Amino acid sequence: MLIKKTHRARSETASRGSVAEALAGQATGLDRRTFLRRSGLAGGGLAALSALQVGSVRKAEAAVVGPLTAGAVSKKNICTHCSVGCTVIGEVVNGVWVGQEPGWDSPINRGSHCAKGAATRELVHGDRRLRYPMKLVDGQWTRISWDVAINEIGDKINQIRGKSGADSVYWLGSAKFTNEGAYLFRKFGAFWGTNNIDHQARICHSTTVAGVANTWGYGAMTNSYTDIRNSKTIVIMGGNPAEAHPVSLQHVLEGKELQRANMVVIDPRMTRTAAHATEYVRIRSGTDIAVIWGMLWHVFKNGWEDKQFIEQRVYGMDDIRKEVEKYPPDVVEQVTGVPGAQLERVAKMFATQKPSTLIWCMGATQHTVGTANVRAFCIALLATGNVGAPGTGANIFRGHTNVQGATDLGLDVVTLPLYYGLVEGAWRHWSRVWEVPYEWFVDRFDKNTAADGKVTNTMNTPGIPSTRWFDATLYDKKDVSQKDNIKAMMVFGHCGNTVTRMPDAQKGIEALELLVVADPHPTTWAALAPARKNNTYLLPIATSYETDGSRTSSNRAIQWGERIVKPIFESKDDNEVMYLLAKKLGFADTLFKNIKVENNVPVVEDILREINRGGWSTGYCGQSPERLKSHMVNQKDFDMLTQKATTGPNKGDYYGLPWPCWGTPEFKHPGTPLLYNTNLSVKEGGGTFRPRFGVEREETLPDGTKRKVSLLGNGYYSKDSEIKDGYPEFTLGVLKKLGWDKDLTEAELAVIQKVNAANPDAVSWALDLSGGIQRVAIEHGCVPYGNGKARANAFGLPDAIPTHREPIYTPRPELVAKYPTLPNARQFRMPNIGFDVQKAAVDKGIAKQFPLILTSGRLVEYEGGGEETRSNKWLAELQQDMFIEINPSDAAERGIKDGAWVWVTGAEHSSKARMKALVTERVGKGVTWCPFHFAGWFQGVDQRGNYPKGADPVVLGESVNGITTYGFDPVTGMQEPKATLCQVRAA
Amino acid sequence: MARMKFLCDADRCIECNACVTACKNEHEVPWGINRRRVVTINDGKPGERSVSMACMHCTDAPCAAVCPVNCFYTTADAVVLHSKDLCIGCGYCFYACPFGAPQYPKVGNFGSRGKMDKCTFCAGGPEADGSKAEYEKYGANRLAEGKLPLCAEMCSTKSLLAGDGEIIAQIYKERVTKRGYGSGAWGWKTAYRESIDT
Amino acid sequence: MASLGRLFRLALGATLGTWALLLLVALAAPVQAQQPSSVNPTASSVKEQQLLQELNRIQGRVSIPDKRSGMLEQPGRDWRNFHEVTLRWIGGIVILGMLAVLVIFYLTRGQVRLESGRSGRTVVRFNAFERLVHWMTATCFIVLAISGLNITFGRPLLIPLIGLEAFSDWSQWAKYGHNYLSFPFTIGVILIFLMWIAGNIPDKTDVEWIKRGGGLLGHDHPPAKHFNAGQKMIYWIVVLGGGAVAITGYLLMFPFYTAGIEGMQVAQVVHSIVAVLFVAAMLAHIYIGSIGMEGAFEAMGTGNVDVNWAKEHHSLWLEQQKAAGTDARPAAAPAE
Repeated sequence: MLIKKTHRARSETASRGSVAEALAGQATGLDRRTFLRRSGLAGGGLAALSALQVGSVRKAEAAVVGPLTAGAVSKKNICTHCSVGCTVIGEVVNGVWVGQEPGWDSPINRGSHCAKGAATRELVHGDRRLRYPMKLVDGQWTRISWDVAINEIGDKINQIRGKSGADSVYWLGSAKFTNEGAYLFRKFGAFWGTNNIDHQARICHSTTVAGVANTWGYGAMTNSYTDIRNSKTIVIMGGNPAEAHPVSLQHVLEGKELQRANMVVIDPRMTRTAAHATEYVRIRSGTDIAVIWGMLWHVFKNGWEDKQFIEQRVYGMDDIRKEVEKYPPDVVEQVTGVPGAQLERVAKMFATQKPSTLIWCMGATQHTVGTANVRAFCIALLATGNVGAPGTGANIFRGHTNVQGATDLGLDVVTLPLYYGLVEGAWRHWSRVWEVPYEWFVDRFDKNTAADGKVTNTMNTPGIPSTRWFDATLYDKKDVSQKDNIKAMMVFGHCGNTVTRMPDAQKGIEALELLVVADPHPTTWAALAPARKNNTYLLPIATSYETDGSRTSSNRAIQWGERIVKPIFESKDDNEVMYLLAKKLGFADTLFKNIKVENNVPVVEDILREINRGGWSTGYCGQSPERLKSHMVNQKDFDMLTQKATTGPNKGDYYGLPWPCWGTPEFKHPGTPLLYNTNLSVKEGGGTFRPRFGVEREETLPDGTKRKVSLLGNGYYSKDSEIKDGYPEFTLGVLKKLGWDKDLTEAELAVIQKVNAANPDAVSWALDLSGGIQRVAIEHGCVPYGNGKARANAFGLPDAIPTHREPIYTPRPELVAKYPTLPNARQFRMPNIGFDVQKAAVDKGIAKQFPLILTSGRLVEYEGGGEETRSNKWLAELQQDMFIEINPSDAAERGIKDGAWVWVTGAEHSSKARMKALVTERVGKGVTWCPFHFAGWFQGVDQRGNYPKGADPVVLGESVNGITTYGFDPVTGMQEPKATLCQVRAA
Repeated sequence: MARMKFLCDADRCIECNACVTACKNEHEVPWGINRRRVVTINDGKPGERSVSMACMHCTDAPCAAVCPVNCFYTTADAVVLHSKDLCIGCGYCFYACPFGAPQYPKVGNFGSRGKMDKCTFCAGGPEADGSKAEYEKYGANRLAEGKLPLCAEMCSTKSLLAGDGEIIAQIYKERVTKRGYGSGAWGWKTAYRESIDT
Repeated sequence: MASLGRLFRLALGATLGTWALLLLVALAAPVQAQQPSSVNPTASSVKEQQLLQELNRIQGRVSIPDKRSGMLEQPGRDWRNFHEVTLRWIGGIVILGMLAVLVIFYLTRGQVRLESGRSGRTVVRFNAFERLVHWMTATCFIVLAISGLNITFGRPLLIPLIGLEAFSDWSQWAKYGHNYLSFPFTIGVILIFLMWIAGNIPDKTDVEWIKRGGGLLGHDHPPAKHFNAGQKMIYWIVVLGGGAVAITGYLLMFPFYTAGIEGMQVAQVVHSIVAVLFVAAMLAHIYIGSIGMEGAFEAMGTGNVDVNWAKEHHSLWLEQQKAAGTDARPAAAPAE
């Protein structure tokens, strides 16, 4: 042979040696842990070991032979494309990100990625990124400087504020902000004086947050991705994690294998996740409640419910029994299409082969009944006693890196950071933390005069949800309960194609006086409405990989990501832009009072410390930057299954200090890996359900008599609790009653006095800025927020007991009379006329003209609106065309061939979209499915020319939201993209 | 002697395409060249399985046998590599390959083939290990750095295994024993003339 | 040849298989449209060996637009065996065999002489255009043949002599030559077909000519028109063989435009077998047109042949020429 490899012999010895050692380590025994290591780490495992063992050799060697990685510095950040929280390791040489390595030490992804995570480096290649600030001048994109941009934008919004009020400027934030960025943006909104501030959670899991929090206290995933490994029955309903959260499937599938667990997928579509299930249940879109009640019908009939759990920990399950009786198998089959026998089998598995977990995603949440869906899911878990223990729980998979964190930190129209709400007490709490007088905020907000002449300060009224910003722009002024319509959109990191009813959004964009898009990419906002010729600004923002800060994964764990490279081109990170804007608007000094600013860049550690100082209600108080950084550096010390550090400086901590992490950082609470877990003491991460809705409730019995029922825990408590029963939240007054106030230090008492000098006894665990009340309660084994019951009956919600309601546009109009949507009502400053729309659709026979159900979902290669991922050539190559999945029989009826172009028409606006047909049995007869990541074509027109040159995404296509329709959840304003109607014909 | 192999556990593969983009990332593979791809069989029907496929680095590799210019060689790890300096882009390896691994950049006239490109098991090519020339022609050489192919290392569900054939076969076997099912080591019979008994 | 047969069977099988699959899907569709009440996707896995046994290939779906990459596994070993073993044997036998036959023929029969000697008068046999077309095609053919044979035989024969690098360089140029010269060659074949079709329709005289062995063995001169049966054979070999190699060659040169991978395998088999047979036939043609027969080369050299040569080899054609008054004229130059 002519070819000889000079270095071959040596390097082979290196890798082979380590492989052999790895084998030796795995050769014997088959106990659980060995197997976990073996099968789990598998190919990865071998590689992990070999990489570790030759690590030091490699570096020296690389310095000699590897010009690419010579002298490379490794930086750890978090993948931005879903909420699993995969560690991304960037290798940086001379400020250039030259390589990506698997993050083996991460106890979450253990080196793994999906297509998006494995392609993150291309984002920072920046092929299609915005390079400098631009503005639209008579329809032409023109380069401007940052100074000009900030000045002009500042002047313009001040002008709008003067004319139309602070509420006319809408601040749309991002789930890709770091926690610090999200918090700062919410704080910015408060300083600007509006609650019209929102982010992607509105359109993905707002209904989850509302539904879950209204059931047992906190609106988040109760357990964790890795804890699913403990489940014996895994039910995934309305979610396709194989594409949306691929790395989570590592835990789901390994758990399924190790436990020989049941894996049930309930979905209208036989997804890639369903392909690996042990049971697939096909349902009709939008009938989730009927399915769950159908399951519970079998549970209650056969006595499979967990009676002790219900007795001790659940309020109102009898009301559920009554409702469930209305859903016998024949009714359920008629409504949902699921045969009774199958549902009985699934119900039995779920209730008896425990622990069981229920995983859901946007298939459940994105409905007019989203909140009720989620409530029904929680109730199913409660009825079977599947909450608060390993392997159980509501495992809610969220969609972005930091959508959990951004939700927690109040990028939301209904709350200030960390769920304090918008009431005066909340404002006063944050005023204390920010060291700004409460009255200052009162002045900043608009005063709205209602039709009846009543004047309210909008600081206490929920803002307009991002799903309806264009309604608030286009509706008659008198229909919008604020001073004026929305006049300006300040869009930070949010695509323009993820909200339904895009034809209306297009008109909305045209009507705006100012549009500012601050994003790494121009996004659909920049291209959708070519009629808009001026007053549009594009600000190039750094990606999350170009910024430091913490990110909260779905499992509430917070990870510190470090900047891999400096912002490329003229990009700036969000925090810097907020600072510049605050400076221009004149409140930078107060906004950044306790936050150091260096070269216009706020110090993120200071921001996190400020969050710590105010984040008592949700346990965001113990995660100091120092602790989080130490977790990131010492990832290898954490056990994958338990997420607990077994050694090292963080020994005993749970990875990422999942909230609630009580008390001050010095208190060293380890974080709470599983919410409401009574098997652990609070100090070790245990807890109980949160009595958030009062301590008792007056019920009216059928005979008209009234009685008071306790909402506190009934004879259950977390490990080591000194109170062996339910108890209310802790205040100084409660401590005094218990005689525990003596345990408070002088300093703590002094702070409590300062919080409420008039009535210090009323100062609660959530308002006490010293953390003393939390500390003392926990030292007595008690949960600061109290010990209550979860609510099966969530009194106060529009559907306190969830009930099936047909989608606005239903293919079964004959069911509308029996299962109508909720009556029209005013919500979030706007009218919700869903009832009228549903009635009109039935009357007009829409279901005949548009006989196919249209539902939507994710592709693994893309994320969200997809501008970022469609601009990534490594990803874009894999999905080059927008398509619609259609069943072979529906396709045959219409003469549609696989791969052919079709027109899809929607039920409103005479909307239409041109895309390719994918003929597949993945969808049932009468059902179509589209990915929601495409944009850049609109109603059949290619809009590539509307993007600034060179910043257009590689792949464009019709957005499914060009044809989606009306419908909003009454609790959160969630849109309805998952159950509407369409027609398809060959193009 | 280590005998490097790939094994895709189809019961784990979820077609997430991480292997595909990891490969693009590691080697800066241009648009249109797919050294690795994921094929889904029975798409959308019960029984659907996905398999990540690239060059399997066959025993007695057919590509090497039919190459008119003898540009292939097998390393001590049994990785099948080729020399782009020798390759004339005739396409014969593509006719012979059971897995559709060889890729050809379209160069010049009437879609004629350029130099063949394929998966190198992250082991580079004939040039000196880790050299710039090697990287430009074949991509990174992870094996020389004591690391395994990035596609397998980054696999989301640890479905794609890469490494010594005996070890990965053992891992697969144990997995199947533990979970009680397995659709087999796809491509092994064709590539290595052996299958894994489970 | 067994493997060759198998390849052709495969080509047929591929078509039938697709139909079978479609039929299967059609039959299965109504069943699956009504989802059975119990679907266990884990238990109902597709099986590799079963798929391979049924269709000899595994085809799936890919997300990239390059749909041919949806072929997960395809048959290749048969083609490999053909290329490595069968083709080399066939090629070796027919080409070396033909050379051997020609050598033996030359040694035993010697050159076919012009028995009546030169008349000094010539008659136009091929005009300039005809000769141009012939030589264009011929030169292309020679380059194509050598570069083609190089692909099959170069590795065992040339690499040991000149080494890998030199062989690769040469082969690269040979490949370019092969690809580019295919176009003039194809044009040549088409022109030859059109130009000479009239004279190449087989007729009764051919029967007589063949019966008498073309007069190659004795001193016999069976009558012949413009083209005798032997020449007609060459014509049809050129037209049909040339056509076949051209078509299959373009299939290979433009991969996947029309043929899939198995189509290309079949195309390569046809291309290479026809090509080696073609080469063998052309060796005979070159022999008889040069050293094999006195006076024959002039027909394509100057275009004029001696009248006596015409009389001996194409008596009927000479008659026709005389009747048409386009007969002999004094040789412009000594026909030497």
